[in-house]
Amino acid sequence: MPRKHLDLGFDRFSGLYLLALFLIVFSLLAPQTFPTMATVHLLASTQSVAAVVALGLLVAMVAGQFDVSVGATANLTGLVAVMVQLHGTMSAVPAILLGAAVGALIGVVNGFVVVKLKVDSFIGTLGMSSVIAAVQVIVTNNEEPVPLDSSFFNGMTQHAVFGFQLVVIYLLVIAVFLWWLLEKTPAGRYMYAVGGNAEAARLSGVRVDKWAWIALTLSGTIAGIGGILFVSLTGPALAFGPSLLLPAFAAVFLGSTQLMPGKVNVWGTLLAIFVLAVGVQGLQLVAGVQWVAAMFNGLALIAAVALAASRLRKGARKPRRWRRSEPGGGSPVRDAAVPEAKSLEPNLSA
Amino acid sequence: MTISALRLDGLSKSFGAKTVLFPFELEIQPGEIHALLGQNGSGKSTLIKILSGFHPPAPGGSCQVAGVELELGSPEAAHRSGLRFVHQDLGFVASSTILDNMSFGSGFPTRFGTIRRDRAEQSCRQALKSAGLVLEPAAPVSALTPAQRTGVAVARALHTASPQDRGVVLVLDEPTATLPTEEVENLHAMLRSAASTGVGILYVTHHLDEVYRLADRVSVLRDGHLVLSATVPEVDRDGLVHHLIGGVLESVRRDIKEAQQSTGDNRVMLSVGELSAASIVRADLRVGAGEIVGIHGLTGSGRESILSAVFGAIPRRTGTVQVAGRSVEPNPHNSIAAGVGYLPPDRKTGGGFMTLDAETNLTIAALKPFWRRGWLSRRAAGAEAAHWFGQLQVRPVDGVRKPLASFSGGNQQKVLLGKWLRLAPRVLLLDEPTQGVDVGAKAELHRQIIKVAESGAAVVVSSTDVEELATLCDRVLIMRDGVIATELAGDAVTEARINTATHAASTRNEGS
Repeated sequence: MPRKHLDLGFDRFSGLYLLALFLIVFSLLAPQTFPTMATVHLLASTQSVAAVVALGLLVAMVAGQFDVSVGATANLTGLVAVMVQLHGTMSAVPAILLGAAVGALIGVVNGFVVVKLKVDSFIGTLGMSSVIAAVQVIVTNNEEPVPLDSSFFNGMTQHAVFGFQLVVIYLLVIAVFLWWLLEKTPAGRYMYAVGGNAEAARLSGVRVDKWAWIALTLSGTIAGIGGILFVSLTGPALAFGPSLLLPAFAAVFLGSTQLMPGKVNVWGTLLAIFVLAVGVQGLQLVAGVQWVAAMFNGLALIAAVALAASRLRKGARKPRRWRRSEPGGGSPVRDAAVPEAKSLEPNLSA
Repeated sequence: MTISALRLDGLSKSFGAKTVLFPFELEIQPGEIHALLGQNGSGKSTLIKILSGFHPPAPGGSCQVAGVELELGSPEAAHRSGLRFVHQDLGFVASSTILDNMSFGSGFPTRFGTIRRDRAEQSCRQALKSAGLVLEPAAPVSALTPAQRTGVAVARALHTASPQDRGVVLVLDEPTATLPTEEVENLHAMLRSAASTGVGILYVTHHLDEVYRLADRVSVLRDGHLVLSATVPEVDRDGLVHHLIGGVLESVRRDIKEAQQSTGDNRVMLSVGELSAASIVRADLRVGAGEIVGIHGLTGSGRESILSAVFGAIPRRTGTVQVAGRSVEPNPHNSIAAGVGYLPPDRKTGGGFMTLDAETNLTIAALKPFWRRGWLSRRAAGAEAAHWFGQLQVRPVDGVRKPLASFSGGNQQKVLLGKWLRLAPRVLLLDEPTQGVDVGAKAELHRQIIKVAESGAAVVVSSTDVEELATLCDRVLIMRDGVIATELAGDAVTEARINTATHAASTRNEGS
């Protein structure tokens, strides 16, 4: 009998099959522009920042907290890191640390709002994102800073290794760290427990408030790092944050249906963000219009949540029966083909 | 012969391969109050969900309401045919007024799309009055007492917006579960008067004495089979209990009772002094090592909150808790550190992580043993979980990595008990340890509870299940009005004595 994490269940890897489908379809439709290394490199580097922000959100979601301030946080920390260097108050390394510290501070405040003031995390971080946007106006005076002329600061993400920019490495480092934290430490178990059922966690001796607070702090910090990576990679901009928020949510939700179904998880989130990005990129090349990304990400978010919800319903009513080895039964793949067909639909229509 | 108000014939239900309700027949005459008994997991809630249209039944059965065939499977059709429900959670929008809540189901009387308030109010007043309630339709439901809410729910169920829309059968799902004892008689009076108008009533309850005080006929479900359907005078209390429980539990009697008492090991493991919390007033409790102490009492007596107060899960006003002579700070974290385990009464809300796997549920309270050199060993955790799956006979055996929600109620409860057993607790607090559990799993849980007591733990079982307490406990404490009113020990721990003591201590002891 194959062990669970080795079986080829179509459901858990539907993202990979969707990715393959995108690659085939767009390669056929845009043979000149789509299937090129340039596309691969472009996607890898631009999506790395989005993925870092999504991973920040993921940590909060693990503990059952929505953090809708990740976009605003990334934007502020990125600009702060640039401004202090422009003004000459700091060199690159302290500026980066300051940016990350600003992200951490925002996370701490988010935690305070949620844990101490007992504001629902969605509302609390929504309010905080407006506060952060205001602080950003105070800091920048609403004037877009000129790009930095620092080869260290820009090179730290743009330097290419085998055609891939360094930012991809940072993403992998953060992803591996979070995977370790969430899957391989008691801290991860506690955060998942808090997210799974806060009352049951409390009655199991888990310090619910502490872990919710830590999760939000980590979320702010990682989003802050994402913001710094963004300005290093593409230069400062006044409003890049909001564009990172929706893909992050879509990726985390879609990711929760992948690899470890029913559980938001690091690798599922990464898979999801790149699948979505390939879809956006392909559509943009084929259709050549500006509204594709917004439309696709919005629909993908709804589809991902609908998919996660339907999985939850299915899972609650009856366990996935095709997993069990039935005596003389067919391969798990054939039986799994039916739910797979369903799960593809919403994505295709997007 | 008159036409039956409700006639079920050959109705059944399976979930996957598991049959939860075997084909059965049940008939309720107009004006009849028909009590339905059954332990948790017996199929009673499935039956109600089938009638209310929530679950479609297996094909082949038939349901007639007032002689008219009803196609089950949709709430609207059930309502149209005259089936009315008072569910356990009542289903009110608490912030809305009585008037609005009454009209959500039946619709508001309108003219040109605007609500005709005077007319709605008038019909609402009438419905309340016919249920014997003196309440303002404009009052929010959140301002009502639990008893008033139940009354409004009954009034709503029988409220007729139009003559074609008359309730034929009223189904009540454990309406007294959350009701203070003194209000139960009011509800019964309301139901008797409804029945006198020709409505058939199906009354689901856990309280045996309600059967004798209220019902004309009684049916018992056990493990999905309708094992009894008779008029009330035909069957005595012992007969009912026998049908309810079946023979399986008898084998788990605690034989070592005398032996335990004669060893004279009266080290006090758990000592609770002057505990005041929720409705509990200065309760004292001492439990020795190896002892199993039961706590019984009607809802509202403090029984339902005493264990969570001892564990520190709910805030306490006064009182101390000592484990093996040492004081414990009142919060779950410190209680667990002191060797106290607490199994909450509701595994869905407080007990388990339904979406997380069984291994996480089993191991969450102590992950240290699996944490080596910066790495949480899933292999070690999985092995530990598998060990407890074996110990507790959890099915499916290979389900360690499956989400808790995919297990049956009994197996979920075993997993959650295992979570504490693996910590070798000094004190184990069990709140309704076998709620929603089938008979076989219940016996297994009882065996495990006895085993942990034999290993020297102090066990406290708070339960509404008298049979369970009589089976398991060395002593049983009866609570009333927030205090421990009676203590039964040794030979006095019998179902009859527990029931007598409970009801002697309550205003409910009017009938039987």
